[in-house]
Amino acid sequence: MSVVQVKRPQLRSSWYLPAILAGMVFTFITMLKNLFNKKRMPTLNYPEEQYQYSPRFKGNHVLTVKKDGDLRCTACMLCATACPADCISILASEDEDPKVEKFPISYEIDILRCVFCGFCEEACPVDAIRMGPEWQTPGANGDNFIYDIKQLAYRNNLNQGHGVPSVVEDEERHEAGI
Amino acid sequence: MVKCTINGIDIEVEAGTSVIEAFKQAGQDIAHYCWHPGLSVAGVCRLCMVEIEGNPRLQIACNTQVAEGMKVTNQSEMVKDAVKWGLDFHLINHPLDCPICDQAGECGLQDQYMHFGKYDPEMALSKVKKHKVVDLGERVVLDSERCILCSRCVRFTEEVSKSNELGIFNRGDRSEIGTFDGMPLNNKYSVNTVDICPVGALTSKDFRFRQRVWFLKDKPSVCTGCSTGCNIDVYFNKDGVWRVKPHHSDVNGYWMCDEGRDIYKAVNPITTDFVGERENKKAVKKPNRILSAHSYHDGKMEFISTAETVSSIELGSFSNPALIVTGQYSNEEYDSILGFWKSKAGGKNIFHWQNQPEQWQDFDGLLIRGDKNPNTKGLLASLEKHGLQAQSQLPSMEGFDFVLVLGPENQWVYDNISQVADQVSQAKKVIWLSACHLEKASQMPKHVTFVPAKTFVEKSGSFTNFEGKVQSFAMVDVFVEEALDLQQVTQWFAGERVTASLAHPWQSVHNEFIHERGEL
Amino acid sequence: MEVKILTEHYSDDNYRSLDGYKAKGGYETLKKAFSMKPEDIVAEVKASGLRGRGGAGFPTGVKWGFLPNNGEPRYLLCNADEGEPCTFKDRMMMEKAPHQLIEGMIISAFAIGSHKSYIYIRGEYVYAAKVLEKAIKEAYDAGLLGKNIMGSGFDHDLDVYRGAGAYICGEETGMISSLEGKKGQPKLKPPFPAVQGYLAKPTIVNNVETLAAVIPIIRDGAAAYRKNGTEKSAGTKLFSVAGDVNKPGNYEVPLGYKMIDLINNECGGVKGGKLKAAIPGGTSAPIITAEEIEKATLDYECLAEMGTMLGSGSIVIMNDTRCMVDMMKVISHFYHHESCGQCTPCREGTGWLHKLVTSVITGQAKLTDIDLLCEVANKMKGRTICALSDAAALPVLGIVPKFRDEFEFYIKEGYSKVRGKSHGQMHH
Repeated sequence: MSVVQVKRPQLRSSWYLPAILAGMVFTFITMLKNLFNKKRMPTLNYPEEQYQYSPRFKGNHVLTVKKDGDLRCTACMLCATACPADCISILASEDEDPKVEKFPISYEIDILRCVFCGFCEEACPVDAIRMGPEWQTPGANGDNFIYDIKQLAYRNNLNQGHGVPSVVEDEERHEAGI
Repeated sequence: MVKCTINGIDIEVEAGTSVIEAFKQAGQDIAHYCWHPGLSVAGVCRLCMVEIEGNPRLQIACNTQVAEGMKVTNQSEMVKDAVKWGLDFHLINHPLDCPICDQAGECGLQDQYMHFGKYDPEMALSKVKKHKVVDLGERVVLDSERCILCSRCVRFTEEVSKSNELGIFNRGDRSEIGTFDGMPLNNKYSVNTVDICPVGALTSKDFRFRQRVWFLKDKPSVCTGCSTGCNIDVYFNKDGVWRVKPHHSDVNGYWMCDEGRDIYKAVNPITTDFVGERENKKAVKKPNRILSAHSYHDGKMEFISTAETVSSIELGSFSNPALIVTGQYSNEEYDSILGFWKSKAGGKNIFHWQNQPEQWQDFDGLLIRGDKNPNTKGLLASLEKHGLQAQSQLPSMEGFDFVLVLGPENQWVYDNISQVADQVSQAKKVIWLSACHLEKASQMPKHVTFVPAKTFVEKSGSFTNFEGKVQSFAMVDVFVEEALDLQQVTQWFAGERVTASLAHPWQSVHNEFIHERGEL
Repeated sequence: MEVKILTEHYSDDNYRSLDGYKAKGGYETLKKAFSMKPEDIVAEVKASGLRGRGGAGFPTGVKWGFLPNNGEPRYLLCNADEGEPCTFKDRMMMEKAPHQLIEGMIISAFAIGSHKSYIYIRGEYVYAAKVLEKAIKEAYDAGLLGKNIMGSGFDHDLDVYRGAGAYICGEETGMISSLEGKKGQPKLKPPFPAVQGYLAKPTIVNNVETLAAVIPIIRDGAAAYRKNGTEKSAGTKLFSVAGDVNKPGNYEVPLGYKMIDLINNECGGVKGGKLKAAIPGGTSAPIITAEEIEKATLDYECLAEMGTMLGSGSIVIMNDTRCMVDMMKVISHFYHHESCGQCTPCREGTGWLHKLVTSVITGQAKLTDIDLLCEVANKMKGRTICALSDAAALPVLGIVPKFRDEFEFYIKEGYSKVRGKSHGQMHH
């Protein structure tokens, strides 16, 4: 057994005031720089200014539709199976058209649970769910964060309002070799 | 007994055993579609190929009997190649629409492919087109493109149900399963064809598109549809029970009737807003469960709906109490309630409410019996054990100041239920145990109190079937926490604290199978 | 040289009637047979080395010996569902000499102790069926069928059953299914028909020619019958020669006869070009090339050695203007159309083969598809209940490797190497 002497800091180095002052000087200089040279300012004035992400950004989900406006989704539930956050719930039903056979009468994503992993997109065998470039998801209360078919497939900023591409036709997919 | 060697394992089997059964007994995997233990041998899928020592040609295991000293293997390269090609032949005209196929997850083609296949498909030509979404009958839908023509369903209607509705029409790769015009598949055992279909060709209209099978768990239980007591597997998840399937046993073989498949409908509480919409599509058709009782703590029962509080009931305070029993509760429950009744009410005024007792001896020759109560035998035995007498005629109830009704769980088999409800409401005070909402419930007078009862999946116990065989069953899951079984009713009447059963002790079955199999 | 044993009197039109048949010594053999013990008849047939003339070539006497002695009623079925493409010998036998078949059947039935027999005749053979019906009526009227035939105490009933034109009903168990009123699909073996056949009773199924051949064996004895043919392939056989020869038709020659002699002598040589290839035993037999034809003798062993078979004895001769891809398409279409659909490899495989060959003609095929054709055929072979799968696979395994250049040319150039860009003459 031995006794270790611990060296306590000297008064000079434990006195933080000079460092704080130096920091304030730096902040002040930066403020002045930004005031007179706004272009080089590294931050954005959100929400007036917004950063433009690449169109391949994986943000909010989009349910793609066929040319006639019907959902592509066949309610196979592979997305719900693959989802690690358990945020997709689908209720399937039988379509009168035997060529469609199965379709979702309800498709809900609890966006607050979603971790934006993209597994749903990957699991989808028919290219029916994509992750779009939108990333802002404001809402006033909890209900607004459960996205239903209307929100996922027919919101105004999608293709049929000529926004984010969401119309996918099988023929085009085949031509593209998918 | 005959000795043979299966994949290097020496086993002894009974004379006359087929090689495929020997494989099963030796615990060895063998691919097969058309062979089913409950049906005759068709030998058409050609997948159960085995190599028998001394025979240069591969043989099918289902139509070869084990001979003394036979050495059989399905591990050789020749067999593996044959099975691989056998699968390929099955799949060349298969639409591979697994995403919308209900069988996905329990499909023979998927399973065998993961076991024996895993090759790149060589078929690059157009596939044969056949009929899709063919309405075969009340309960079954056919997709001919998915069909692999194993003929199990055809043999089932020929040999088991003996109704011969199904046949294979046309020949070659144009062959299709079908029914004759005006002769739909409407026998009382039709959904068994869905169970034995190894692929998604035959699907049940009732279960179709309601759940993916990998979201479901299954547990064994006993059917409450009639006094036969078929062994079943209950498929459920946190949202409720979705289907029941027969479980192989001496009582029912491999089959169960279509009526019995509806018993789960009394189990589920209604949970989603879309039920109305789906009801139009005939996806959900079931009686609603009673959810209104709030708590039974400290011997008191509170209701959310009426805010009325029923105090603990002192049976001794009534001068003329009556007990109406039905044959739909377990032996253990009868013991508990009848013992209690005997000690507190002197065992008098017990009435056995029977549904069409004149049909009780009916039997269709396969499984369905006229007595639609799972435990009539058990009730009678329990009455005898406690030395009690039950009257089979329900008298006018006016003279009784308290009536406890142990109502039926499967209400739809009691066609006189609304008359009995009227009759019973003449008594001064009525407690009615019921698993499901009575249609008349809202019109009933206030002194009739409905108490939710547990269904067969929410309790453990045993039923005594028509031949006196006692079959025990275990709790599957709790779907209505407020529901009581008769032991709990006894506790409540005795003024004891009743502990509610919590729903879903497990959280979610999510992804369980994917991770278990993990080969995708 | 033709040796006319069965077909001796076929040129006589009156031979068709009972009187004409009797005038040439008909039903004398039956009288002789009734004086023998049934076991002796079976032994005689066994000693003659007669082999089934329908295609499989299984020794007839041995087959008869398989019947169990369990006292159950036995059935004799005559397989007249001659469906093999280019085979037409049974048709001629039934049309020219119905009483020959009837006599042969009564002798055989007496030998195996059967009191009921059926002739299952191909649906398209309307005329032959009429001739048979008439002959049976004559035989009944003359006391040759029915109770106590010719005072021998032997009872026998004979009926004609017309098929509906399915090739698969020529397979013995398929035929039994059809006769039972079921869909004509082959049954699993075991149990074999000799043990559990028609109506689950012991049943013997024999070809028309086989049953007719019983007559000379009983009449002249096994030794006399053995004078023709080879050691293992005894007797004479009818060959239906079709295709590019000057005189197509049925020819009765001793087994072991040289194939090239049959073509050049009896059939008057190849028509419209040089000899290119021949199918020796119906389309289900693998093809042999001109060089092989030079060496081939018409008996079971020689052809088996060459990897093909004698089959039902229908020889299709092709001259050098015939495109093998077209030929393959016709053959594969036939088996695709005729597969009963019971066993998966055959049901799916026949369709696959047909689609592959068609894709060669329509120009969608790749060079690797030639190997795939052979691979698919190989995997279909020997994996099904009956032999139709083999029958569909064997022609592919014969034609494709032997004429691979024609397939390669077709895929590369998009037209036939043999007939150029003109349309093929062969359509099914």
